[in-house]
Amino acid sequence: MYLSLSHLEKSYKDPSGNNLKVLGPINLSVETGEFLCLLGPTGCGKTTLLRILSRLEQADGGKINMGSGRLGYVFQQGALFPWMSVESNVIFPLKASGTAGGECRSRAEEMLNQVGLYEFRKNFPHELSGGMQQRTALARGLVTEPELLLLDEPFASLDTRTGISLQEMLRNLCGRLSTTVIFVTHNIEEAVFLADRIVVMGHRPGKIVRDEILDMKWPRNRLSSSFTEILLSFRRTFEKLVDPLTSSLTEGKESEL
Amino acid sequence: MILLSGNVRRKVRNLLPGFLIPLLILAVWYFLHDKTLLPAPGLVFDVLSHPSRDLLSCGSLFWNTGVSLIRVLLGLFIAILLGTPLGFMMGASERFRRFTSVITELARPLSPIALLPLSIIIFKDTSFTEILGLNHLKYTRNILNELQVGMVFILAWGGVFPVILETMHGVRGVRKVYIEAARVLGAGRLFIFRHILLPAALPDIFAGYRMAVGRCWMVIIAAEMLPGTNSGIGYLLRYSYQLSRLDVMLACIFVIALIGLIFSRGLEFAGDKWLLLRARER
Repeated sequence: MYLSLSHLEKSYKDPSGNNLKVLGPINLSVETGEFLCLLGPTGCGKTTLLRILSRLEQADGGKINMGSGRLGYVFQQGALFPWMSVESNVIFPLKASGTAGGECRSRAEEMLNQVGLYEFRKNFPHELSGGMQQRTALARGLVTEPELLLLDEPFASLDTRTGISLQEMLRNLCGRLSTTVIFVTHNIEEAVFLADRIVVMGHRPGKIVRDEILDMKWPRNRLSSSFTEILLSFRRTFEKLVDPLTSSLTEGKESEL
Repeated sequence: MILLSGNVRRKVRNLLPGFLIPLLILAVWYFLHDKTLLPAPGLVFDVLSHPSRDLLSCGSLFWNTGVSLIRVLLGLFIAILLGTPLGFMMGASERFRRFTSVITELARPLSPIALLPLSIIIFKDTSFTEILGLNHLKYTRNILNELQVGMVFILAWGGVFPVILETMHGVRGVRKVYIEAARVLGAGRLFIFRHILLPAALPDIFAGYRMAVGRCWMVIIAAEMLPGTNSGIGYLLRYSYQLSRLDVMLACIFVIALIGLIFSRGLEFAGDKWLLLRARER
């Protein structure tokens, strides 16, 4: 087991000073090498959970037990450093952890080859397409061969086709490195395609409403009947999640279902 | 016919219309100067075309321009040296900003010229010759004699606030996501400073330097027109007024404008070419 959370909680203060509970309590354990998709509607606290795991934020309560190994993180919009070339962006985490210059270069080169961006290593992020930017971000997240890779809706801003090809690329890369992955998304199909295990989170406060290991071989075929079946079952779970903001609108619909 | 590459030719063609109005002014001046107090353009041109000739027994155009330039550069250097780290700390630390905000807000709008009399009282006419202990040079014509501490002080005053404020602004404006990304990718504080804060704030820092140069150049001209010195382009300008030498005066005005232009355009060019290019797409 790589990671376990017990009774993890997080609240924010809203503008009028009231405590707004956004997360928890969450109980979750993740096995080493597992590819876990954290699936939930926008605003359910998935990102907050990821930020707590990466120590960008502190939980208010509960316990986190996790390995102390290297961490990779891929942000929603890449968050590439615009004043650095693609290569420098990928080298960044290596340099930050004190890897020697020559080794940085060769490892970055290898990583860039794997995401097919070697020819673009001297380009700057704004010169690349959205898909290429996210490939750079993946390379940057994986170049240190992290034990745990956290991804926060990395493909949400891409068109479907680019997204699909990046999903395949990610899965291959992570398989090769046997990294433990937590992938946050609100896209059900993406989760069903990628994950070994899907954890669905509900709304405010974010809680786990379904946790399931997918019984599907890899590579997966999006058109197969088992794929669509699983997809539908998660879609049903998703629709039952009541968003407090829109609950009045969906009430009528729900009774029809 | 001179053969120019298409690019250069296009640039020249784009610049040409801008020269129409100056030429028009020159023409009006040329034809109407004897009806006014103005000297003929030729006389001013004569002064400008012999920049190393002594003027009004207070040194050549070259010398006086050089004195003003070196004063500005020294003042600017100090402003940058003090202002950049201060601005950085104010940008990076909320607590430091709280401590310093009132004093900077109060001091900022105070014109450096307003401090000139006070600085003459405090620093008298101490020049860098005395500060560096080179007293044997005191009665020779030497650039160090012309660098009065009071003058440099007010230049540094004029330059330091744009540097502080723009640097602070730049550091505060660094997108949080870059800092967070660096943190989760394993960067420590010093590494983040060196590789994230500094390059991300660089365009603003540089803009502060540009503003400081412009301000210092304005301040020095005004400061040199007041008591406290007998050299510099501003001094030459005022002295030419006392002697009613309008040819020298106009030549000075032209040089002041030209140097101001070179400063702003030169820095803009240097920044675009060497510094800002990469950070522009933020």
